[in-house]
Amino acid sequence: MNLRLVTLAGTKVDEEVYEVILPTEDGEIGVFPDHEPLVTLAKTGVIQVRKAKTDPDDRMELFAISGGVIEIDGQQVKVLVDEADHAPDIVEAESQKALERALKMRDEATNQVELEKAHQLVDRHMVRLKVADLQRHRRRR
Amino acid sequence: MPSQRQLKGRIRSVKSTKQITRAMQMVAASKMRRAQEAQKATADYTDAANELLSHLAGQGTTDDHPLFAVREVKKRLLLVITSDKGLAGAYNANILKRYLNEVRADQQADIETETITIGRKASQFTARLKDIQIRGTYDDMSEEPEGSELHAILATATDLFRTGEVDAVDVIYTDFVSSLTQTATLQRILPAGYTETEISQSVRNAKYEPSTDAVLEGVVYRLVGAQIYQALLDARASEHSMRMVAMKNATDNATDLIDDLTLAMNKARQAAITQELAEISGGAEAMA
Repeated sequence: MNLRLVTLAGTKVDEEVYEVILPTEDGEIGVFPDHEPLVTLAKTGVIQVRKAKTDPDDRMELFAISGGVIEIDGQQVKVLVDEADHAPDIVEAESQKALERALKMRDEATNQVELEKAHQLVDRHMVRLKVADLQRHRRRR
Repeated sequence: MPSQRQLKGRIRSVKSTKQITRAMQMVAASKMRRAQEAQKATADYTDAANELLSHLAGQGTTDDHPLFAVREVKKRLLLVITSDKGLAGAYNANILKRYLNEVRADQQADIETETITIGRKASQFTARLKDIQIRGTYDDMSEEPEGSELHAILATATDLFRTGEVDAVDVIYTDFVSSLTQTATLQRILPAGYTETEISQSVRNAKYEPSTDAVLEGVVYRLVGAQIYQALLDARASEHSMRMVAMKNATDNATDLIDDLTLAMNKARQAAITQELAEISGGAEAMA
């Protein structure tokens, strides 16, 4: 099964995988080869990718994504998102700082536009931190 | 004729100007390369979104979606993309000229125009115009606009269109054709248009969750967003490449100027020496 993760900044992933767990509006779904055709909306959250059937859970690759669209046709999973970060690329300290900045921005927002932007930033950095956290716990084990 | 000392001073000042313009040329060149890469990368996303959209269109689901509604244009929204800084040749002038033409054409056709400006040059320009309705100004966007920065612009544009307050949304930006050619372009982003592509059987039978409408909404929103984003990246790449060319010309001109001034100074020096010799030999002759 082919997984394509496409963001505004380019294609992040384009490879063969065994299983993908995706955060959708209706909850998390796990997708295996020959999944029934489905088009759905992704929400801000974590994508987990199992490359080979024999890979254990803690070898799954993690991506933090913002909202987007998912298209599944059995042989291919196409994920269109605004932004995606691969777990090893996330610097936890930086994300923590960015989250604090975003929270401050949310509290000080004077208009709707600023508030919306701040909310999106908060969500985004929360997910990145969550991914970084998951990644760290795995390494410890 | 200026004195040697004056010429020396001018040469020195032109030389330092040349150093600055050369540095700016180098900076613009490296920024252009990065902007160009980003501009190419986004094409993937736009293509993928387009494909999805035509899948959905194949099912006839787009027909009564508000963002696809084609109405007679009585009022339109213009998004004008310029740079924050000048010294980029005709970059901003071209865009603003195009914008002014559009506004005039609208006035003649009795169409109301609203404007959202992106970039400080556009907001400064529109501030001086009379009878212009400004919906918003976005100055100092970061060098590489993140997806989240788009949402505010996108939300304003789609809301205005959805509520019927405007009947069309156009973007005026500089299309990055190649590093040598950039043209001021107008692109209509709403009502949403799309290109038909082949639809596979499996997608035709696909289920939509939570609902077809909700999915369509998500795709349209993203596609329109991607188009604005693409326009921003194009504008950015164009800006840097035009600045690079402008600064290259400035550097070349400075080099020519330095040559001319050096020649003038050498002539002045030679003239001074000749004069001095003439005076000495004249003096010697008089003594003899």
